[in-house]
Amino acid sequence: MSFAVIWCSDFPLQAVLRRSGRGDCVALVDDTKRQSVVLCSNANALDSGVEPGLSTVQALARCPHLQVRRPSAAAETAAGRVLLETALSWVPLLEETEAGLLTLDLSSQAEDDWLDSAREILDRLEEVGLDCFVGLGETPALARIASQAARQSGGRYWQLVPKQRLKLLDALPLTLAEVGAELISRLQLWGVKSLGQFARLRREEVASRLGDEGVALWLRLTGRLRRPLRPAKLEELFEASYEFDYEVVEREPLLFLLRRFADQLVERVSRTGRAITATHLLLTFGNGSFYAKRLALPEPTLDEEVLFRIVSGHIDTVEMKSAVVAFRLRAEPSDPIASQRTLFGTGLRDRHHYEETLKRIRRLVGADQVGSPRPLDHHRPDQFSLEPLQPEFEEHGLLMSGPPVTGPTFRRYCSEVRADVQMRDEEPVQVDSPKVKGIVTEAHGPWKCQGDWWHRGRRWDRVEWDVALMNQGLYRLVYSGGSWVVEGYYD
Amino acid sequence: MEPKQDKLAALQALRGALGSQVVSGTELLQEQELRDNHFSTDWQPLDEVLGGGLPTGQLTEVLSSGRSRGSGLVMAQLIARARKEGSYVMLLDVGKGFTPWSFPARDLEVLLWVGCDSVELAVKALDVATRDENFSLFLMDLRDCDAADLRSVRPKQWYRIVGQMRMRDAASVLFSSAPVTSVSKRRVEMVNPLSLETLHQERSRVLKSCCIQEAAAPVSREPSNREPMVALKAG
Repeated sequence: MSFAVIWCSDFPLQAVLRRSGRGDCVALVDDTKRQSVVLCSNANALDSGVEPGLSTVQALARCPHLQVRRPSAAAETAAGRVLLETALSWVPLLEETEAGLLTLDLSSQAEDDWLDSAREILDRLEEVGLDCFVGLGETPALARIASQAARQSGGRYWQLVPKQRLKLLDALPLTLAEVGAELISRLQLWGVKSLGQFARLRREEVASRLGDEGVALWLRLTGRLRRPLRPAKLEELFEASYEFDYEVVEREPLLFLLRRFADQLVERVSRTGRAITATHLLLTFGNGSFYAKRLALPEPTLDEEVLFRIVSGHIDTVEMKSAVVAFRLRAEPSDPIASQRTLFGTGLRDRHHYEETLKRIRRLVGADQVGSPRPLDHHRPDQFSLEPLQPEFEEHGLLMSGPPVTGPTFRRYCSEVRADVQMRDEEPVQVDSPKVKGIVTEAHGPWKCQGDWWHRGRRWDRVEWDVALMNQGLYRLVYSGGSWVVEGYYD
Repeated sequence: MEPKQDKLAALQALRGALGSQVVSGTELLQEQELRDNHFSTDWQPLDEVLGGGLPTGQLTEVLSSGRSRGSGLVMAQLIARARKEGSYVMLLDVGKGFTPWSFPARDLEVLLWVGCDSVELAVKALDVATRDENFSLFLMDLRDCDAADLRSVRPKQWYRIVGQMRMRDAASVLFSSAPVTSVSKRRVEMVNPLSLETLHQERSRVLKSCCIQEAAAPVSREPSNREPMVALKAG
């Protein structure tokens, strides 16, 4: 098992610089306390002697051109999302260990591709304004140390190869271990100057002399500290929102924003190698009420036009009782499609368009009047249900051929057509009804059937006759409950 | 000039000698167009009457002046053919008399049934549906409709539907007891009544006993951009 750590050093500073642009000498200061102090600074500022911990006045004295910035929670959130979205295009399982530091599980990727992927991710992060380092190791802790080693070595990535672990750790100072200064000074007094030297010590001796802190470090360096990753929550990752400065009473501003959000979300989701499977719409009204709706897409898509059409179509149906003050749209990403159509299968060409068509037709004729009919497994004639149309089906040749279909098709009258039927020698000879009347020239029957007698009150009983009426056609007569009806005709 | 005339004369002589074996490019294109612009029904008598199959991008009417002439069999045949082709079919059923038990279950997989209360509603639904490229065949069952109900649809609506079908190479068939619209490209009529014995025969055999012929050609008009003139009643 192997892990990677993507580390964005000085994350609060980089997050701010992404928004405000990179300056020559920049320092991030904390001015919430009595004395304003430097939290972190960029390379040029460091060269000028502006180090973390200095007071802002001292920093300005050392570097008169220093640009002072304050931390921004919004900028950090945005940068964190970009970092997470970009990392998702590498592997699906990752942990947001802390702000600006992600741990990735590389078990789903071939080892030969690790370094290429790391380079690609670092290039993409650089494009979006984040300078990061990647460390590769057999445990999350070792990968984290490797990412810091990458920074120290002046490179962009560093791999702690398991077979050469001790040798590679020999080149790393104790300061990379992120342990207390007291422990480091004690180790240095003992002559232990590198992580490799510490890892070579015996566990029992470390435990007896350095206690829990020493043992924890020893376990980290020897690769014995293993832990499962806590997968990052992606639910709220692909979200775009806007709070209006004024109250919006018409739909046009919403559609304008929706167009922008759809483009943004599609681009962001596509960067992770996923597709959008549903959208969450949240409208906040001026009277304090909300409207929230999850709109499931027929199939995952990365088409911003489809996304816009579906959401805008729904917005048109929303009854706005008050003015809108905030609009939020969230995309629900799906895992990459793991299935493909069978070789001989076929199906709908555009499922999104089909769903839109279906919605419009349902609005016209009613939701219960549209569907793919399926006969029910029931002895009572003409019992069927309406199912959703299957988006894919096997081609004809692969199906088992069923029993041969006999006779013409039957079409029933939608309303009951009561009839007077004259019988002679227990056979119908004449039919008189509002729809059809005439002399029976030929009759086949009686076909008796009954069922549900085992359910109280649901028993049914009927006698059918198929008759040919002179110059009229072929009809089905049914005798049930003491009366005759013309059920329909054959055609 | 001399060699060119020689070549032309030689070419004419060759064409005369080969006779019908030589097909011109125009003829070849026409043949190709005929093949491409038709949806074969897989039932030879109907294909012959329609000149190769259902014309795509057009309306076709299947009429039966009386009951039990075999219109439903044509419908079943078209659905089966679409299933074989891997296409989806939409059936707009005015009167809601569709009986799934009359159709093989496998063919119903590709069928989307839409129950409509009136012709007007069915035409509106068809107008929406023909914009969808997922369906290549639209069937409209108007067998139980009154002639007055059929006339309630304006030609303009039919023309719009035809225009949409042309863009998607879809075909539409109207099953009716009387002519529906002059916009229809072709009109065929089921003429032979079925006997009671056919109820117990295999469907393929029943289909053979059906008789189909071309009905009177509809008078087709090009759509007018102007609304029809409305006469004002004198006070």
